[in-house]
Amino acid sequence: MIAPKQITLTINGKRCLGQEGDTILQVAQANDIFVPTLCHMKHLSPWGGCRLCIVEIKGSPKVVPSCSTPATDGSEVIATSPRLHELRRSTLELLFSERNHICPICEMNQGDCGLQHQGYVHGIDAVRFPYLYPTLPVDTSGKYFALDHNRCILCTRCVRACEEMEGIHTLDISHRGIHNRVVVDIAATFGTSDTCTNCGACVASCPTGALFDKASAFRGKLNSSQVVRTTCLECPVGCGLEVYTRDNRIVNVFGDFESPINRGHLCVRGRYETWAEPRERILTPLVRRDGKLESASWNEAVDSVRNAARRFQTEQRAMLLSPRLTNETARAMRKLAPKIGRVGVVVVQHEEALCRVNGGPTPPASALDQLQDADAIIILGARPSRDNGVVAARIRTTVRRRGAKLLIFHSRKSDLDRYADVSAYAVSLERAFWKQVASLLQDVHRPVLVYGPDAMTSIGVTVMERLIKIFEVNTDGRTQSLQLVALPVSTNGCTWTGAEIETVEDVGLWLGAKPLRYLQVVASDEPDGGAHLLRERHVRALLDNVDCLVVQASYRSALTERAQVILPSALWSEKSGTVTNFEGRELPVRQVVPPRGEARDDREILETLFS
Amino acid sequence: MSDKPKIKVATAWLGGCSGCHMSILDIDERIIDLAKLVEFTASPITDLKEIPEVDVGIIEGAVCNDENEHVLRTMRSRCKVLIALGDCALTGNIPALRNSFKLEEVVTRGFVEIESTQIAGVPDTTVVPRLLKRVRPIQEFVKVDAHIPGCPPDADTIWYALTELLAGRMPQWNETNLKYD
Repeated sequence: MIAPKQITLTINGKRCLGQEGDTILQVAQANDIFVPTLCHMKHLSPWGGCRLCIVEIKGSPKVVPSCSTPATDGSEVIATSPRLHELRRSTLELLFSERNHICPICEMNQGDCGLQHQGYVHGIDAVRFPYLYPTLPVDTSGKYFALDHNRCILCTRCVRACEEMEGIHTLDISHRGIHNRVVVDIAATFGTSDTCTNCGACVASCPTGALFDKASAFRGKLNSSQVVRTTCLECPVGCGLEVYTRDNRIVNVFGDFESPINRGHLCVRGRYETWAEPRERILTPLVRRDGKLESASWNEAVDSVRNAARRFQTEQRAMLLSPRLTNETARAMRKLAPKIGRVGVVVVQHEEALCRVNGGPTPPASALDQLQDADAIIILGARPSRDNGVVAARIRTTVRRRGAKLLIFHSRKSDLDRYADVSAYAVSLERAFWKQVASLLQDVHRPVLVYGPDAMTSIGVTVMERLIKIFEVNTDGRTQSLQLVALPVSTNGCTWTGAEIETVEDVGLWLGAKPLRYLQVVASDEPDGGAHLLRERHVRALLDNVDCLVVQASYRSALTERAQVILPSALWSEKSGTVTNFEGRELPVRQVVPPRGEARDDREILETLFS
Repeated sequence: MSDKPKIKVATAWLGGCSGCHMSILDIDERIIDLAKLVEFTASPITDLKEIPEVDVGIIEGAVCNDENEHVLRTMRSRCKVLIALGDCALTGNIPALRNSFKLEEVVTRGFVEIESTQIAGVPDTTVVPRLLKRVRPIQEFVKVDAHIPGCPPDADTIWYALTELLAGRMPQWNETNLKYD
């Protein structure tokens, strides 16, 4: 690659260095020169709509928006002048007068609002234009967030975030002139939208209170909250989180722009499902007495678990673990397992084989960045739009915005199919079909194959071999090595390899293999409290025959209701440790808030019980 | 104490919550210093109703009805310097929330549907001021000479603005002293 040419320009008389292709704003910011902005957001494409970042260029009578004007070598830029101040102030006054910006009743008041901040910076004490007081609707139909048009300044940051980060384009601007309005699916609401994924990128990018999170509203100002950077435990991708807390409560959760994995983006699971959902938390240990679950102290609960376990031999005891426990818990469990009995970690079908194939050194470049640079993406046996929202978002943006080809080989239809060049059931694929695939992939230089557990079936393996062969045949002098990205479903599912702990793909089969008297299920902070384990009738029957069922979980569920003893697990936000993501990167899990009630870290609980 | 004549001040409370007047009282013991410099004439604080000729007029609240408009215009005609105190006077603020509704909807809600209503009915008498179609800030009716934003403005903000004005300077607003809430 050729290094971009260096350019030199002056801004406010200061000599500034930049690179060819930089905007004036980028050069100014890199050289610590303040230029006010409102519609600009570093991670989104330039828009040039708000006109706050206007600058003067010597020799030109016009002012230009610095966010969307390329810096040129030798130019003299003025970013601060009485004329610019007056123009910017007038622009802001027009914004204030156009809609109903009533600061005292707004959630973003006192520091979280870009418009208010710019009003202060520009010393606006009163607006010289008549207020329009338009009658505008508020869309509160969305599950996690609301859109108040009264506070919208039409900066389009939400529209661009929806398009450029989530790749969905649910949002856009309709109508003309003064009637401009942000629209959801042209004429829908967030509640009725077919396309909105609830990723919340629009809310995270809104500079005013127009889009706000319901669970976060009036819980505390972000700019005076504490921030902890941690890792999302909802899937194996391992997105970086920025968790805002105040008085030991979570105020909001955003994507961490410094994370090389998600680069600021999140899906609905990481952004909302972990904290903005009403769930019944287990706050104390519970012990069943006369058929009823009653609160107990930790000492009582530990004694009753130990006594129950002691009644049976190791062969009659078993423990099922959720894979989403930390690596430290996994290490501790390897030591404890022989004392407990049979210990298994629950993963999805074919995941063990996927983890085995996936071994090897961690690639230096993030797999998601590779996806972004790909010119063809092939998905085989994975369902990122259901299981890994941020991967799906990266695939959509690459396909829709960069024109990459998308081929999906699946066993079930998915939301990504509509963007695909080829979407085929991975069965009975004929020679003519493969010819078509080969010709489609002919001019491809940076192909990436994303494969999930279902790629480990015999049909999946056949398809994968065919694809690899296509690229072998095609390599007539061009670089066309197929990048392989394994995408498991379970969080930390691949960390459990080792003789002491078995991998359980079929819970019923595993439980039924040997007579079982004592079973402990460590569901930890699974959002459903481990209820998914009861899906099979066979499993329910087996659990009914167990003498003693101990459940370790954060939330109440159909599973905990069957337990003799319930032990309260700490949540993702209440413990520290590490997890290993799908690329093999070890990522930090940091404690954000103290455990609620009597909840404890799973590792601590297990070590107390069985050491 | 000099023999300089005191500066005469009148204040009025239009469509607002009186929070801005409370905030004036919040300047605490500094009110003694202020009293040495100014004489409060008509004001909700003194409870004197008729506005005399004054040097400074201070207005809290938005213009919601014909009486508000009358008081505002009287104040303007009798004062040399008019100060808009607080967001309602400056932007319409919370009283202006009703601008999103038709006037009939507003009075029906206020006089008929409201939970505390016992004898329902929109009053039809000249004693009750007539609501304007839309709530508006005072600068849309008269010329305003100085603005003190805030809902309500802090006592310190009011003190700063008043002392600057008394010293013959316009208050300078920026990031450090502006607050819209």
